[in-house]
Amino acid sequence: MHLQGSSRDYRSPIFRVVVVSSLLFSLLVLGVLVVDVAMGGLPVLGDRIGSFLANPSRSRPDEAGVFQGLRGTFWIGVFVVLLTFPLGIAAAIYLEEYAGDNRFSRMIDVSIRNLAGVPSVVYGILGLTVFVGLLNGPFGEEDSFGKTTLAGGLTLAILSLPVVMITSAEAIRAVPQPLREAGYGVGATKWEVVRHHVLPYAAPGILTGTLLSLGRALGEAAPLILVGAVRGKLGSRAGFFDLSQLGEKFTAMQIVITEYASKPGEDWVAVTSAAIVVLLMVVLSFNAVAVVLRNRFEAKREGRGRGK
Amino acid sequence: MLLPAFSSVAPMTRNGFRPGSRGHRSTSRYTAYRGLAFGIGLSVMVGACAPGPATEASEPNGSELNMESGGVACGSGSISVSGSSTVEPVTTRAAELFEQVCGDTTITVDGPGTGDGFKLFCAGETDISDASRQIKESEEAACESAGISFTEIKVAFDGIAVVTHPQNDVPCLNFSDLYALLGGESEGFTNWKDAAPIAVELGSDTALVDGELTIAAPGTESGTYDSFIEIVLEKTARMRQGEGGAQLIRTDFSGNADDNVIIEGVAGSDTSIGWVGFAFAEANAEVVREIPIAKEPGGECVSPTAETIADGSYPVSRSLYIYLNNDKLDTNPALGPFVEYYLNDAYIEAVTQAFGTSGYVVLPDDQLATSRSLVP
Repeated sequence: MHLQGSSRDYRSPIFRVVVVSSLLFSLLVLGVLVVDVAMGGLPVLGDRIGSFLANPSRSRPDEAGVFQGLRGTFWIGVFVVLLTFPLGIAAAIYLEEYAGDNRFSRMIDVSIRNLAGVPSVVYGILGLTVFVGLLNGPFGEEDSFGKTTLAGGLTLAILSLPVVMITSAEAIRAVPQPLREAGYGVGATKWEVVRHHVLPYAAPGILTGTLLSLGRALGEAAPLILVGAVRGKLGSRAGFFDLSQLGEKFTAMQIVITEYASKPGEDWVAVTSAAIVVLLMVVLSFNAVAVVLRNRFEAKREGRGRGK
Repeated sequence: MLLPAFSSVAPMTRNGFRPGSRGHRSTSRYTAYRGLAFGIGLSVMVGACAPGPATEASEPNGSELNMESGGVACGSGSISVSGSSTVEPVTTRAAELFEQVCGDTTITVDGPGTGDGFKLFCAGETDISDASRQIKESEEAACESAGISFTEIKVAFDGIAVVTHPQNDVPCLNFSDLYALLGGESEGFTNWKDAAPIAVELGSDTALVDGELTIAAPGTESGTYDSFIEIVLEKTARMRQGEGGAQLIRTDFSGNADDNVIIEGVAGSDTSIGWVGFAFAEANAEVVREIPIAKEPGGECVSPTAETIADGSYPVSRSLYIYLNNDKLDTNPALGPFVEYYLNDAYIEAVTQAFGTSGYVVLPDDQLATSRSLVP
C-alpha cells in the first residue's frame, strides 16, 4: 500500500460541486416560487392589503379576503402548541430518560415511528369519528354538528404528536452521557438532572423538531376537509381571538387558498397569489421567531460549554 | 432506535457536545443549512397574530323576527348550506347579498359535492342542499327514513363546454364522435383517427383526422364528470355494450378536480380535448375553443351560449337545484326569507355573476315563476 494515492483527488471537488448545486437548485425553486407568487399577488396586495387581511372569504375577487382563514390557522396552531408540544416532549423525556430498554418500550418506539408515517387523511378519518363525533352535542354550537375549530385543532394536534415525540427523543438522546453523570456526581436528583442539564441542552433540537411538525400540521388540508372545514362561505363573524369560534364551523388558510385557486379568471389568480404571499409572510415571520429562539438556546448552551 | 437504554453512552453526533466548536467552518455552515430548512418547512402561528381586526362587518342591531329591512323580510338566525361545489358560488353570492340587507343572519355555504351534501341534508345537518343533479332514489330514501321532507327548487342551467386548443379546427362533434373518442371502447386510443371506425359505425361522418389525442378532463369526484357521462356517453354505451356492465367512459386519462388545471391541460396541446363548466370555458375563451356539439350525427351543430343553454338547444347542459328542508322553514325564521330573496332580489346577480364576471344561465321566465311558487 502506498501512503499517498496514485491519482489526484478529483472526487472531493466533484462532490463539492454536486452538493453546492443541490443547494442552488433548492434555492432556485424557492426563489422562482416566491417571485412568481409575489408578482402575481402584487395587484391585490398593493391596492388593498388592509381589506384583504380584514375581509372574510367572499365571492368577488375585489372583496375577497383571508381573515377567516388566518383566524382558523391561528387557532389550529394554538391547539398544536398547547397540546402537542407538552405531550410530545413529556413522552419523549419518559422514553429517553425513564423507560428501560425492554420489549414494551421498543414496541412503543416502533408504533410511534409508524404513526409518523401514516397518511394525513387517516388522521382526518380519526378526527371525524372521534372528535367530530364526540363534540357533536355537548360542546358544539347547535348547528355546527361537531365540525368545529376545536375538532380541527385536535385532529391536527394528534397528527403532529408522533413527529414531535420522535424529534424530541432524538434531541434528548444527543445529550452527552457525561453531562448527566456529572450531574449525578454532584448529588443532583434525576429530576434536577433532567430539568437543569438534559432539557436545556436538548432545547434547540427539540425546538427545531416541534416547530417543523407545527409547520407540517398547518399545511395539511386533507384532514381538515374530512373534519368539515368550510370551503365556500363561512358565516361566522367571530373576531380573531373570540373563544366562541371554537364551537363554530371553521376554515383555514390552506383551505381558503384551495378555494380561491379553483375559481375562473385572472382576478382570482391574483387573489390566490396574494393569499399565498400572506401565508408565506406568516411562515417567514414565524421562522424568524423560531431561529431567534433556537439561537438563544444554543448561545446559552455554548456559553456553559466554554465555562467548564 | 428511539430507545437506547438509559445507561448506554450516547455517541458524539453532530448535534453533540462540542465546546468551542461554534467558530468551526463546517458547523456554522451546517447551521446555515438548517436555517434554510426552517425557512422552507415551518409555519404560521405567531405571525398569524399580526393582522387582527377584531370584527368585520358591523351588524345592524335590534332586529326581531321578520323585521323589515329595505322591503325584505329578514328574520335572524343562521343558515347552513352544503352540497354541490358547482352551485356553491350561486348560493354564496345570494347569501352575501342577503347578509348585506339582513345583518342578523349568518349563512355558511360549503361545497363538498352533491352527494356529500345530500348525506348531511338527510341527516338534518343542513337547511339547504345545493345539487348539480336531482336527488337519487337512495338519497331520497335516506331522507325519508330520517323523517326529512324537502322541496326541490330549480335555480339555473349550467352548460358543459367541450373544449380544445384554438388551433384545432374540428368543426363540430356529435355525441357519437364523443363516445368514440372518450367512451369505454376508446380505452387506449392515442390518436383522433383511432376513434374514426367507431364513429363511422355509429353513423357519424365527422372527419377525425390524424393528431395526438390528449385528454384533460374532470375527475371522478366531480359532478361535471358524472353529468358528461350521463348526458353524452351513457346512452350510446348501453346501446353498444348492453345494459349490464357497460363501461361508460375510458379510464386511461388522469382527471383533475380543478377546472383551471383542465383549462391549462387543454391549452397545452394543439390536439387536446376536454370538458369543463361553461363559465370556465367562457372565462378562458382566449386559450381554449368551445367545439360546437350536435346531438345526433348530421344533427344541428350548436355552440354553447347563454341563449342556447337556456332554450335547451345546446345538448350538453344540466339543471342546478337547491333542496330545501321543509321542517326547517318553521323552526328557522331566517330560512324562508333567504330563499325568497335568493329567487327574487338576488337571483339575476347570483346566477349570472356567480364567479364575479361570469356565472351560469338563468331560467326562462316560466320556469323561474314555477321555482318561485315552490317557496311557501
